[in-house]
Amino acid sequence: MNENASRAPTAALPKPDLIGSYRPIPGIPDEMVDGAGRVRPGWQQLVSALESLGSGELEQRFERADQYLRDAGVFYRMYDGAQTREREWPLAHVPLLLEEAEWDVLAAGIAQRAEILEKVVADIYGDNTLVAEGLLPPELVAGNPEYLRPVAGMKPAGGHFLHFCAFELGRGPDGRWWVLGDRTQAPSGAGFALENRVATTRALPDVGALLNVKRLAGFFRDFRDALQSLAAERGGSVAILTPGPHNETYFEHAYIARYLGFLLLEGEDLTVSNGEVMVRTVSGLAPVSVLWRRMDAAFMDPLEFRHDSQIGTPGLAEAVRSGTLAVVNAIGSGIVESRALPAFLNGLSRHLTGEDLQLPSVATWWCGQPRELEHVAANLGTMIVGPAFSTRVPFEDRTDTVHGAALDAAGRAALADRLRAEGASLVAQEAVSLSTAPVYEDGRLVPRPVSLRVFAARTAQGWTVMPGGQARIGETLDPSAIAMQRGGQAADVWVLGSRPVDAVSLLPGDDRAVKRNRSGSLPSRAAENLLWLGRYAERCEATVRILRAYHARLADATQPGQALLTETAEYLESLDVDARRPVPAGLVAAIEGAVASAGRIRDRFSPDGWLALTDLLKTARMFEQRVQAGDDASRAMTVLLRKLGGFSGLVNENMYRFVGWRFLEVGRRLERGIQIARAATWMTRPGAAFGSSDLLLEVGDSVMTHRRRYNVNAGPLSVIDLLVLDALNPRSVHFQLAELFSQAIMLPGGEEDGQLSGVAREALRLRTSLAIAEPGELTGERLWSLVVDLGALADRIAERYFA
Amino acid sequence: MNYDVRLRLDYVYDAPVAGGRHLVRVTPANLPGRQRVVATTLTFLPVPAERVSGKDFFGNSVDTVAYRETHDRFEVLMTARVSVDRGQGVVDVSPGLPELWREIAGIRTLDPHSPHHFLGASTRVTLDPAITAFAREAAGADASVFGHVAALCNAIHDEFAYDAAATEVDTAPADAFRLRRGVCQDFAHVMIAGLRGLGIPAGYVSGYLRTLPPPGQARLEGADAMHAWVSAYCGGGLGWVEFDPTNRIMAGADHITVGYGRDYADVAPIVGVLRAAGGHQATQAVDVVALEQA
Repeated sequence: MNENASRAPTAALPKPDLIGSYRPIPGIPDEMVDGAGRVRPGWQQLVSALESLGSGELEQRFERADQYLRDAGVFYRMYDGAQTREREWPLAHVPLLLEEAEWDVLAAGIAQRAEILEKVVADIYGDNTLVAEGLLPPELVAGNPEYLRPVAGMKPAGGHFLHFCAFELGRGPDGRWWVLGDRTQAPSGAGFALENRVATTRALPDVGALLNVKRLAGFFRDFRDALQSLAAERGGSVAILTPGPHNETYFEHAYIARYLGFLLLEGEDLTVSNGEVMVRTVSGLAPVSVLWRRMDAAFMDPLEFRHDSQIGTPGLAEAVRSGTLAVVNAIGSGIVESRALPAFLNGLSRHLTGEDLQLPSVATWWCGQPRELEHVAANLGTMIVGPAFSTRVPFEDRTDTVHGAALDAAGRAALADRLRAEGASLVAQEAVSLSTAPVYEDGRLVPRPVSLRVFAARTAQGWTVMPGGQARIGETLDPSAIAMQRGGQAADVWVLGSRPVDAVSLLPGDDRAVKRNRSGSLPSRAAENLLWLGRYAERCEATVRILRAYHARLADATQPGQALLTETAEYLESLDVDARRPVPAGLVAAIEGAVASAGRIRDRFSPDGWLALTDLLKTARMFEQRVQAGDDASRAMTVLLRKLGGFSGLVNENMYRFVGWRFLEVGRRLERGIQIARAATWMTRPGAAFGSSDLLLEVGDSVMTHRRRYNVNAGPLSVIDLLVLDALNPRSVHFQLAELFSQAIMLPGGEEDGQLSGVAREALRLRTSLAIAEPGELTGERLWSLVVDLGALADRIAERYFA
Repeated sequence: MNYDVRLRLDYVYDAPVAGGRHLVRVTPANLPGRQRVVATTLTFLPVPAERVSGKDFFGNSVDTVAYRETHDRFEVLMTARVSVDRGQGVVDVSPGLPELWREIAGIRTLDPHSPHHFLGASTRVTLDPAITAFAREAAGADASVFGHVAALCNAIHDEFAYDAAATEVDTAPADAFRLRRGVCQDFAHVMIAGLRGLGIPAGYVSGYLRTLPPPGQARLEGADAMHAWVSAYCGGGLGWVEFDPTNRIMAGADHITVGYGRDYADVAPIVGVLRAAGGHQATQAVDVVALEQA
């Protein structure tokens, strides 16, 4: 017996058996197990690697991936009826594997399809030869809500309509991949694919390397370069246009903007001036020449498309027609998403390129044609019937799509009647089953239906296809359970290379000179949100400090200060804070304000800062439920104060001192000055309750300093001296004004040729007035005028930089 | 018949607005053989920072103006001298519905007059089974296309009450139909929905009506504001014919055309985003004076 023997029990710990009970469904292809019941080679390696980790380690690693996603703030917005809420990103931890040989065939088919769609869109908005020659029914164009007449005849800037497309694929019973849907409007998912990759790699770093998984960064780099050269031709910047934080994929918009270094804009950030699209920035209007839109085209210009759009930019269609703006994808491109188009696509492909589609569409019949209609009516049992212009994949669309197989004889007869009455508005597709892929559930792998979303981007070299994508995996065996709104999960897609892959990153390599990106101009709306974030954070802090002081005194029964408590509650009421509740709604509202402001600038905000803020809100809401008045509340406020301090620390220590940080800082200083001046007005007024000065010192976090600097008990004069006039006290109003002035001269136009901006001049005037004042001069009236003057300064800043 | 047409649109904002952009379709169209614009002026107050004139998809004149300065009032003044001659009345040479459909199926074009644009749902007109049934009842099943169009025009006039207080500018045709009330825009939308429901291409016409009737005739309804009526495709022989369901007549020498579209949204006289926090008061004044007695 040697020493090793004594360790045997550890080594003999049973490895998990992940696939012992894995049973593919007869007649349906499985991604992991082939028709003969053998596990495919790549999967074999993956499963062994997972099993060798042991179940404990495996689950810990999966948790590591989830933790990464939580920390990065990846979420998905769910719609439950009228309400929406953020849901944790549902990552299925086991990736979907595809061999390089199969992938290459798929990618070639995707590139071909993207180019054919380009030609079809160009013809629809151009000469309409496809309609004239009978290859495309005019009804499918004229009746399509995505046929946007205001851009008919337009030649897109840069020459192309389509730049970025996604395709929904499924593997049919014959083992071939079929296209279930084309996404040309504003495809989402590429950013999520990237996050799935990062998270999955966190969990399985060694396994990915072992399998030579192809990297994604090169795809994004190529597309970024393509957009930048499109912009360079015209001289403006590239921006991503988002509908805003309420959109279900807003996280992705912010993520991609940050990842690629593009501006993230909303419609109201833009204005059209003499046919050119400009972004409103704190330094004035700046031209935008490429807009990567993440909103449906019909919402982009309320003058020419949907008049009820609240998220568009008036005049944008005109700019597009004048050729000064390239939109990715061009306005109107959504027309080739419609579910009826695949019925004609192969014919169009043959006509346009002389070739069949390499990647077939799922069999589709447009019911506006008599012969096709009769075929559908006679075969309803194998058909899915839905609106011809729907842009949703049938299995995602429960409301308007009917499965013939689910109907009884009477139901099918009624459907056949409907087909004959309104056939032109209907399309039928063959009901397809999806292949299954393994998903980890209760310590083993089980087969679940899977669909694959892949992405293609136009570059100078033509279409390039992301080597990977997003797999969507159903919660149950029902293919409609794939939709994430109904419990589906997302998985990374690994394309397995035959050779080890080179690292690609968006950071320049050593061979390139380090060149700083131009910081660009800060959009006014982002600046405004940063300023309000600073104000709300500071407002929270002031409120929390007063509440803490209040509850500490409430807890201390020996304090005879009933009058002080009543007066403090009155003061809180003037701030819209109800002291009768231990965690007042007014406080929670201020925290919500901070989170909402930060939420609109996620692309400019560090994930850590975001996490600190949302944690603060979560804690406050929890306290709201269970904290009692008095000592309990006072301690709860201390916790909130610490968390606020954490947030401030992250901002101050880690945020780059670009102009955005300055607006945040300006917001903080304005609000702190206002809060202190307000509190001082109230608490130093003649007749204020006994103990008011002490309370004010506490609120101003200056108790210790006061004790050291003044050898007396706190009275109104010494407190005013310290909290209003003292230039060295970081809590004093004077200090805030000094900071405001030094920020104001650094803002755009703050000091030009020795001349101060109006904002800077006003800050300096206020600061100077305090620098030369004596404590005795600061009557209640004078203190209150500080509050008013700071408010006016805030208005002035808004007028100068946000209008 | 020659007319002098005057339109004044006036918007007074409750609070000053910072800039704005508006799209205006108010100028009478040149329609060879039917309508000739002798002269026209279009003035905006205050003077806009930008002003562009062009044509939209359907060939209508569009004027776009933009403001960058704060203002509290916006005024549009259009004057035109127009000559209208729609020729003599029509003879119904239109086919029955199935033949119309066969003919349309053979039309392979998407030019602005193609009937395909005017068949399905559009922004403001969705097909409504109740309206389709109403349209079907209006004429016998074997009526000609023209017969269907005329019968629906009459039925709407006979069964609907003209009531400016009943509907708003964004009332859906289904609601106006349910109320059996509304103004020219509602009547036109209901008629369009009914015709499309029958498979007859139908579009929206915006324009002006002669203000004072010729001596001895009744004043037409809708003459004190911009008017709307319907254009329907009756097959290759007859082509597009125009009916005014508000007045139970075919559009004639008293109808001055501004533009054509699928529904109101395509030819709205003014589209603009008012970034004002508050509301505004809008007034519209139209004056159409016949230059000769007739």
